[in-house]
Amino acid sequence: MLGWIQHRWTGLFLLFLGLASLVLFLYGFFPLKYHSGKLSNIDDLPNFIDGVSIDGHQVYSSSESSVVLMVIDGLRYDFVTEEYMPYAGQLLKNKTACIYVSVAEPPTVTMPRIKSPERKKEKAQWRRTINFWRDIFAMMTGSVSTFADVALNFGAPAVQGDSVLRVAKARGRKTVMYGDDTWLRLFPGLWTEYDGTTSFFVTDYTEVDNNVTRHLDAVLTPDEKKKPTFDFLVLHYLGLDHIGHLEGARSAKIKPKLLEMDEVVKKIYTAMQEWDRSAVLIVCGDHGMRDAGGHGGASSSEVLVPLWVARAQDFSCPHPVGPGPTVAQVDLAPTIAWLLGAAPPGDSTGRILPSLLPSDVREHLYLLHVTAQHNTKQGLSTDAEYYHQFKRAEKQFSHFLVTGQQSAAKIAKEFYEESLEKMSEYLNVTTTSFDMFAIGVAIVMLYLIATSLLCVTLYSLQPDRARKTSTITRQHNTVSFQGSLVALFVVVLICSIILVTACFITETKSQVCSFTPEWIIQFAAIPFAMALTYFIIQKGVEKIKDLSTLNDLNTIDYLLIGGTIFHSFSFFGTSFIEEEHMTWYFFWNTLMFFVLVRTLVIVIMYLSKKMTGATEVQDKPELAQRMTAVGVGIVPKWVLLIALHRYLRTMNQTGDRWLFLPDTADWLNAPENAFYLQAHLVIGTIGTLLVCIRNLRYMNNVLHIHTILTLAAGFCILSYRISTKTLDVPLEDIQTWDPVQIVNVFWAVLILQFIFEVLSYIGAFRTCGLKPLEDITPATNKFVYNVPKAKTEDHFYDPVMDEPWNVEEVKLNFVRSSSHLMLNNMMLIVTLLMRPHNVIMVPSIFITCKLTSKCMDHKLLDSRSGKRTEVVDILSRTLVHMWIGILFFFYQGNSNSLASVDLGSGYVGLREYCPARVALRMGLHAYAGPALAGAALFCTIAAQAESWKEYLQQTWRATNILALHRVYALVVYCIIATVFRHHLFVWTVFSPKLLYDFVATVFSLQALGTIAQIEALAHITNKLARIFTNRSKL
Amino acid sequence: MFSLTNHLELRRITISSLITCIYLPSIVTVVSYKGLLYSVGNASSFYILVLIFIAELLKSFYLNSNNDIQAKKKQSKNKAGDIIRSFVFLLCVKFCFFVGIILFGAPVLDCHEETLMLSTLLTLLTVFPLIVHTGVETSMQLLFGLKNYGKDTIIEMLVNNALLTICGAWLGAVVIPLDWNTPWQVWPIPCYLGAIGGFLLSNVLTVLKVTLMSAAQKYPALNVLVHVLNRFQTSK
Repeated sequence: MLGWIQHRWTGLFLLFLGLASLVLFLYGFFPLKYHSGKLSNIDDLPNFIDGVSIDGHQVYSSSESSVVLMVIDGLRYDFVTEEYMPYAGQLLKNKTACIYVSVAEPPTVTMPRIKSPERKKEKAQWRRTINFWRDIFAMMTGSVSTFADVALNFGAPAVQGDSVLRVAKARGRKTVMYGDDTWLRLFPGLWTEYDGTTSFFVTDYTEVDNNVTRHLDAVLTPDEKKKPTFDFLVLHYLGLDHIGHLEGARSAKIKPKLLEMDEVVKKIYTAMQEWDRSAVLIVCGDHGMRDAGGHGGASSSEVLVPLWVARAQDFSCPHPVGPGPTVAQVDLAPTIAWLLGAAPPGDSTGRILPSLLPSDVREHLYLLHVTAQHNTKQGLSTDAEYYHQFKRAEKQFSHFLVTGQQSAAKIAKEFYEESLEKMSEYLNVTTTSFDMFAIGVAIVMLYLIATSLLCVTLYSLQPDRARKTSTITRQHNTVSFQGSLVALFVVVLICSIILVTACFITETKSQVCSFTPEWIIQFAAIPFAMALTYFIIQKGVEKIKDLSTLNDLNTIDYLLIGGTIFHSFSFFGTSFIEEEHMTWYFFWNTLMFFVLVRTLVIVIMYLSKKMTGATEVQDKPELAQRMTAVGVGIVPKWVLLIALHRYLRTMNQTGDRWLFLPDTADWLNAPENAFYLQAHLVIGTIGTLLVCIRNLRYMNNVLHIHTILTLAAGFCILSYRISTKTLDVPLEDIQTWDPVQIVNVFWAVLILQFIFEVLSYIGAFRTCGLKPLEDITPATNKFVYNVPKAKTEDHFYDPVMDEPWNVEEVKLNFVRSSSHLMLNNMMLIVTLLMRPHNVIMVPSIFITCKLTSKCMDHKLLDSRSGKRTEVVDILSRTLVHMWIGILFFFYQGNSNSLASVDLGSGYVGLREYCPARVALRMGLHAYAGPALAGAALFCTIAAQAESWKEYLQQTWRATNILALHRVYALVVYCIIATVFRHHLFVWTVFSPKLLYDFVATVFSLQALGTIAQIEALAHITNKLARIFTNRSKL
Repeated sequence: MFSLTNHLELRRITISSLITCIYLPSIVTVVSYKGLLYSVGNASSFYILVLIFIAELLKSFYLNSNNDIQAKKKQSKNKAGDIIRSFVFLLCVKFCFFVGIILFGAPVLDCHEETLMLSTLLTLLTVFPLIVHTGVETSMQLLFGLKNYGKDTIIEMLVNNALLTICGAWLGAVVIPLDWNTPWQVWPIPCYLGAIGGFLLSNVLTVLKVTLMSAAQKYPALNVLVHVLNRFQTSK
């Protein structure tokens, strides 16, 4: 346990723990509730109450009527008074209408802040759809939606499960919708008649409403039998909300608008009274608004929404005048379904509005029974008190049905209401509340892990000698094995006691503290992880003594470190999450500017010295030395790089605010510019191929087999493009090829390359034993002996005296070649997956990485000579590669919104949907930038390492830094998400970013794991080769 | 680090900085009072640049007046040629600024007028005073760090001004993408105002420093503040 801090993969393991904590956090943050998607049927209505038969169908649909649902966006509770809406207020006074207080869940709907031109409408609309989702979802399906509903449905925002509209359609009801077209997109194909309006122009508050009202006269006119022409009419008025956004709730325009709404209410209500059919009018808002305008907080003016109900014939409100009882938004769904004579939607958890319940006792009780029974099916436990209450109520009901005793009916009613109350309370708590205990534990864990990773990283950044002395001292006071076990046990015990105490003190209802069998393992793992971090931190504090290497940091390093640290905290502003790319662009620009100035100064200094006389250069040979490595050409190259980045930045507009601006990708994708698009594609692909072939020099390129395979892969990519018609080449033959087959061949080529590499190393190794060549398989022996490269041959023919098999050299070579092979293959795959206009990113990443590591070399930039700079080098290099990765992540058009995920890339070379493969492709495509930059980093480390030991050490440092950054970003972001959990944008901004962070963590874990695998593979090939050689010797 | 040895120079620096602290804010105030602050990037606001040009020129005449005998000699030798050369050099610098600003993110295809105005302003505030003070060659050498300005307090002040101006313009760009929906979040207003602000800040700091330094002679406790200011300026 004392060696933990020294182990090379502790960082990786800690990152894994971080991922586990993040999962715990996500568990607490996104309440897991699945919508079963079960569809209900009118025939499911119970026909027996506790064994007593009743004609459910007849009783249930006895009060069928037409329903008008009028949703006024932004209608808050105090607007429905006689002052603002005289007619509606009058009806309330007469008790011919009823009002309820309905509580909207805090993250309510919002309007987009930009007007979006037609071109980018879809993307912007998608974001809006999520905003509307929650309220409409609650009203129409009767269940509170969770973020999982949105996340799992992304790309196709239609409601999958059961809804009022579905059951209405199943019963053949006629549904009509006038208003915001979000309704149409949420329930496609379920409307009989509709006219959707888009509401992108916030400044428009008359037209949007006139578009709705203009249909009213026609639709309200009954047919010749005085029956209304529809069963369910939805009107959605947006004007009020628009005014609220523009001028606030105290605006002078509010009152005329509310009067206009009042007129509409009056019109509908008077029309309804003429119909020869019972009809119900429901007016409600979906959220309120602040006095200052806008909405989103949890203040009462935003959350409290009126729900106004009136029935046209013989209706009198049973509640006293004044603010009505509180109901939930989800209550609308079963109510409307019942009024339409359809079964309550499958997932609905609400109850029927009390004022609408029929006065007939039998029907009344039956409805209560139906809703209560429906609710019990929503995954409630059967041994809770409310269930027993329900059972008792059922008994009383059957008793009433048999005997007709009014007292039994009264008791049954009470029991039913009590149990319904409890049930909806329970369902609300389980679906909407955050599991704060889990969140808290996860944040504490993440914090501990981040601290221990900081210790590990700082420890690894110490120069060798400091570490060595510390290892020596360690050996002196080594505690015995048993001793450390006891220490571990004690710390684990203390941690678990703290955790259990915390459980009981907070009296949490969290599952984490439930001590059920499925949770006990996770619960026990937490103290262990805590103990581990405790020991690492303790050791780290003890052993970190010599951080003198960090004194060599220059301005650019400080910029890198400061920028990385600051960036995580910038997320406290929502627009910094939505526009995260802007932060990175700004940082990157600043970095490029600094590097430009530094290199420019050095180059000009060098040139002027050289011009004024050679003696001066000789006087200062170190300047000349510094320059020879890069050459004067570095400055123009750097300027070109800046220009390249300027161009790539315009390629894809991303984020939210400027999303609608035209970008280069749009221009390229226009049909008339197809030539330029194809030029981009070809240049990108060829560039990638060139880079790949350049990288081959690090590999065992015997007989140019690797070259041939790489070219074959490149050919596959091009022919894939041709066969999918993105590349217009007059090659009839290729155009008819099957893309899926081509991609399969492509995979085969890549796998072949890998196998070949490993095999050649196994075979190569046994030739080191100075054996004759005859008894070796012909394929492998050629590879080793006919290598045209002197470098590899040297290693094999030049055995060191005491280590005849120069194991370490070969291992280093193997690591070099396999890192480059990994980079090559990844580049090729990404080239295949990328959109045509983005292909050019792939070689750009490589060029950027190369040039940046050259320019940011401390030996070049810092004048102090004779110092070993590898520690600061690896620090700045790792950070800058990370920056480049993130940068290209955004260049490519990604953002922190789920709308920017490119679904198309998931299906490259696939014939049918296969979740794992699609997810992998989509992941690699989205994270192509970070992945390629990371691979380039490890390639550079391998290529520049002088010895196997140095490679291991540098890898160790890089791994630690990457893991530290990842966990640091996680802990800061988790805290931010927790602080803002009631924020308006928690769904549209904070939660998607959390998902992105989760995916990023998974991928960095996987990437660092790959590096570990490469190292392991080096050892394995070594072992295998040893076995082979021994046998051949025998 | 300023030295207190040359009192005449120090006084000149203080006075010229004070003049800047007065004339720049008054220009900005007048412009904003007239409601033209948000049109600061258009060519119609060229008069601001002319004003700054004249002010800087007068300032540097004041700074140069019968101080540097060598410079005077040079000036008398070939004045017309010098002026033409500095003019060409200034144009080059302006073009470099223009290209650089576009490379670092200004719109490529449009808003050239605005970018030009910004690059002119930057040239005026950074390189122009240096050139008028020392001439083309020396200022080039100073810019690329070939020559150390040593104990020349005036040049040190000018270089500080230039650095803070660039910093201000750079930091001004931060606010453009934020979602405050204000009318001034438009290219190049924040950068333009940021550059002026940076220049102003640098001048205020200079005045502050000189004042503190002379006060510190009486009250040694103030040396801490001087030290802090020095650190701040050298840390760039």
